[in-house]
Amino acid sequence: MDSKRAPDLNPLIQVADLTKIYHNGAGSIEVLRSVNLEIYAGEMVAVMGPSGSGKSTLLYILGLLQAPTSGSYCWEGINLLKLDRGQQAEFRRRRLGFVFQACDLLENSNVYENLEFPLIYEGVERQERPPRIVEALRRVNLEHRLYHSANLLSGGERQRVAVARALVNRPQLILADEPTGQLDRRHGHLVMEHFEEIAAVGDTAVVVVTHDPDIAARCNRVCPMEDGVLYGIK
Amino acid sequence: MRFDDLVRVSLRQVVRHRRRYLGVGLAIAMGVAGFISIITMGQDVKKNFNEDLAFIGGVTIIRNVMELRPQFPLSKFHDDTVQAIRQIPGVTVASLVGLTHVKGNNKGQEEIFSVAAVDDNFWKMRGLKAETGVLFGPQEVKERQRLVVLGKRLAQSLFGTEDVAGRSLELDHDIYRVIGVVGGLRDINMEKGLFVPLTTATDRFAKELLLDRLYVRCATWDDVPSVAAAIPKVVAAHQSAKNLLVEVSWENLEHVKRVAFWIEFFIYLAFAATLILGGMGIWNIMMAAVRTRTREIGLKKAMGAEDRDILAQFLTEALCLSVMAAFIGVIIGRVLVEFLGLWIGMRPPEELFFTCLAFSLVCAVALGVGAGLYPSLQAARMEVVSATRYE
Repeated sequence: MDSKRAPDLNPLIQVADLTKIYHNGAGSIEVLRSVNLEIYAGEMVAVMGPSGSGKSTLLYILGLLQAPTSGSYCWEGINLLKLDRGQQAEFRRRRLGFVFQACDLLENSNVYENLEFPLIYEGVERQERPPRIVEALRRVNLEHRLYHSANLLSGGERQRVAVARALVNRPQLILADEPTGQLDRRHGHLVMEHFEEIAAVGDTAVVVVTHDPDIAARCNRVCPMEDGVLYGIK
Repeated sequence: MRFDDLVRVSLRQVVRHRRRYLGVGLAIAMGVAGFISIITMGQDVKKNFNEDLAFIGGVTIIRNVMELRPQFPLSKFHDDTVQAIRQIPGVTVASLVGLTHVKGNNKGQEEIFSVAAVDDNFWKMRGLKAETGVLFGPQEVKERQRLVVLGKRLAQSLFGTEDVAGRSLELDHDIYRVIGVVGGLRDINMEKGLFVPLTTATDRFAKELLLDRLYVRCATWDDVPSVAAAIPKVVAAHQSAKNLLVEVSWENLEHVKRVAFWIEFFIYLAFAATLILGGMGIWNIMMAAVRTRTREIGLKKAMGAEDRDILAQFLTEALCLSVMAAFIGVIIGRVLVEFLGLWIGMRPPEELFFTCLAFSLVCAVALGVGAGLYPSLQAARMEVVSATRYE
């Protein structure tokens, strides 16, 4: 995968001097301190660190779910922080996919409906949706669960459905926040296998936030993080 | 987000959470059903109510008399005047009445009878029914038949019974056939008298009979003032109205209107309270939905939903709930209208029902938007990070 970071290629993402400070009554907390990061297409990056180190905050900022206090965040040369709320939402639905720790699926909905939402927001025609949903489910080997209720799936299946949902709008970057945190070792590695395939097959970059060294080891790059500082690249 | 997706997703949510929405939906449905049945059947029920009240106080009956005034000659109501009064908007029945006294023979004894010359409209105007036998109808009046209907007290005094149909009575040297006894007069003098067809009386008691009384019955008490005001003008247009006296029981009318106003007021108050409760229910339930679905909102925003998508979805859910409840209310309302129609024997105009239907749906939309807007705004303004981390 290192070949994909060849110096002649431009990075997909460039983050420079990113800081995030929370203010509360007692004072200020600097969660991110001058973070610099470059991510290339097709790359799998692990951000690893203990709880409270700021890795999830970094992920939310990369996902445009949260604004940094200062710094720049460029996507193929465009500063995403200058987009308004609506443009950021549009960017999210066209370019980004999210996988959260808590296997977040929409309850009272089946697998198809869960995967349909990103396509609804993207404005994909109704007849084009089923093949895309089946294709995304096939990539996580769950096409046989198409019309199963989300409530009846196992933890591993739910997380794989969440991965499929992140894939369904064909994103260029998948952001996964502790995607294996609630799974056993076997299912955790199964999910990582899917991420490896996704990164290997397409030009999709994957950023995985984790505190599990085994999970981090499966990525091309590991970026340790502590007290809001992103240390050198391993 | 496309409109068809928005409606489909919102309807699905309402159907899947139907147990949560059941109470609120039922409250709105009952409110709408009540509204439709009250408004659609209101006029007919009011008409029936008027008739019933007329039996008690006669508040919708206007008594018109050509008074005996020294400076003006005696006068009576002309046929064309009566016909013109019947054409006044709000008049349901106009009954010409002539009162006189006629010599008769009762078991060889000469007696003076109080005679009321009336046509079949008189029975309708006073809401009278036959106690025994029958009352004469338009055919008997037209054919000028020699028939009499007795008051209850007169029947008792003449024959010792009220079962008098088929008996005969001599009046002014003519034999009249008794066909029945009228009940419900509530006037002792009338109960002691007898009723002869107007045409027969004008033929036979022309000298003594003066058709100087005209009773007019209005459709509702709301029509009474306009009809009372119109009568002198109509009379004046056809004959002299100098000795016309128009009598209305204004005090009774005001009293009845006051009672009816409070009844109506409480019915509308109940309807308004139902809708307000329904609206508050929608508000509450949508606020609760926003709270319990916080993670869902965060997830959807992470998937790329914009604030307006979330706003539209929650607002459409509130609308779906209120409109679906209103539709159920319309169906219940229709059933109630049919049932009430059968019960009181009336058929309300279809246009009125469809007007109510349209108004109910407009109300439901206003209710859904009004009560769902704030919770939907709350949902739309939610920050993604706090929403996705919400436990």
